[in-house]
Amino acid sequence: MKKIIACFSAIVFISCITPQAQAQGLLKKLKDKVNDKVNTITGGNASSTNNSNTNGSATSNSSNSSGPVNRTGAGLTNTAPPDVLSNIAKAETAGKDTNYSQVRYALQQAIMGVEIQLGRQILQSLPNTVDGLTKDTTKNVVSSTQFGWTNMTIQAVYSDGKDKQMTVMIGNIPMYAGLVGLYFNSAYVQNNMVDKNPNIKQVQVKGEKAIIQFDESTGYSLIAQLGQSTVIAWQCVNFATEDEVMKAAESFDIAGIKKLMGEQ
Amino acid sequence: MKSFIIAVLFISNAAVATAQQQDLSTYLATAKSSYAANKLEDAHFALQQAIAEVDILTGKKVLQILPATLDTMTADTKQDNVYANSGFIGATIHRTWGQGGTQTAELDIINNSPLIGTLSAFLNTPIIGGMMNSEKSKAIKIQGYKGRLNNDGENTSGPSEYSLQIPLNTALVTFKVTGATQDQVIKYANSLPLQQIAKLIQ
Repeated sequence: MKKIIACFSAIVFISCITPQAQAQGLLKKLKDKVNDKVNTITGGNASSTNNSNTNGSATSNSSNSSGPVNRTGAGLTNTAPPDVLSNIAKAETAGKDTNYSQVRYALQQAIMGVEIQLGRQILQSLPNTVDGLTKDTTKNVVSSTQFGWTNMTIQAVYSDGKDKQMTVMIGNIPMYAGLVGLYFNSAYVQNNMVDKNPNIKQVQVKGEKAIIQFDESTGYSLIAQLGQSTVIAWQCVNFATEDEVMKAAESFDIAGIKKLMGEQ
Repeated sequence: MKSFIIAVLFISNAAVATAQQQDLSTYLATAKSSYAANKLEDAHFALQQAIAEVDILTGKKVLQILPATLDTMTADTKQDNVYANSGFIGATIHRTWGQGGTQTAELDIINNSPLIGTLSAFLNTPIIGGMMNSEKSKAIKIQGYKGRLNNDGENTSGPSEYSLQIPLNTALVTFKVTGATQDQVIKYANSLPLQQIAKLIQ
């Protein structure tokens, strides 16, 4: 009995709503027709005309309900890297007072300063042109994290101004270096990777072991492990052949980079 | 005799701390001279070594401020441990109380722990915290710090096993107590100098 009452109430409820919904649908269709007609006559967009009328002025288009839109501001200025010697001096002073949290902070700043300076030296040592591509100095990046997976990453971008580009990344990245080392030192991993992914293989860049990989969407990538914890990676977009990638990579002073990174 | 042993332990601890302080000074001097000679990578390595020393010295300072006893449990200072991990996880500090007794407690402080994110989500997101709250796990506050208390030994026939996890800045404090009631665990946790620890390891 209860079920019958429930069904009946549902039917009554739907029948009450449906005419209203149908009427709303009809009204919308009518509005759309009128808008289309006005558009064809004025050659504009009826809805945007409506909006500008309600807003009252053209300038009010830029403001919205979430507040004003920013139009000014000079951005952030590039600050100098932390001064290494003054931070070491701060660490020494704080160490004498056994204020170890301050010592740690000063040391982190000093490390950041050293890494940024080292990164700039390495960037300067990189060739200005490679395989007809010019170094885009506006895309030079030296980043330093005081802890985490990576300590320091240096990036340089070479481009022909069109669609051919090479991005070089040099990093003190123990984790990646470990993975590359694992690849070279484990026959099982090598076989397994080659078996599953035929687009990856071992090569040598100026006597350093490296892995080259090709992917249709990202192009060629070449990764070489330099010493214990340094990794250099080239990401080459729109390079024609593997040989072209290898030739471009060999134009880098690998021994010089190794020396600067403190590798043997 | 007991006070003699404590005095010997204190003196040997102080001697080790002084030696480490000297190591820190040596690393700082190496960093300075390497930097002056433009040997940046050598300076970098020396600074990293110095940070590892600072982590150990900080850990030892934290151990000094931990209570020597928790109710009837005495600290087993032989098992005190501090080690610095260069890289992803920071320094780790460990202390045990009540070794061999019916109640035991262990404190581990891991700086830069990868579990901090998950724990903070549990404590600060009502929907996640609500879903994970149960008879075995709940959010509580100790000295104003939010934490998660787990009852790990509820369905076992052995003694109770509670573990309390509290995020302190970027460090994870894990306090495990066996053979105690929930109220006792909270009482012991309240006797830990959390605010001072947070200040030291920040």
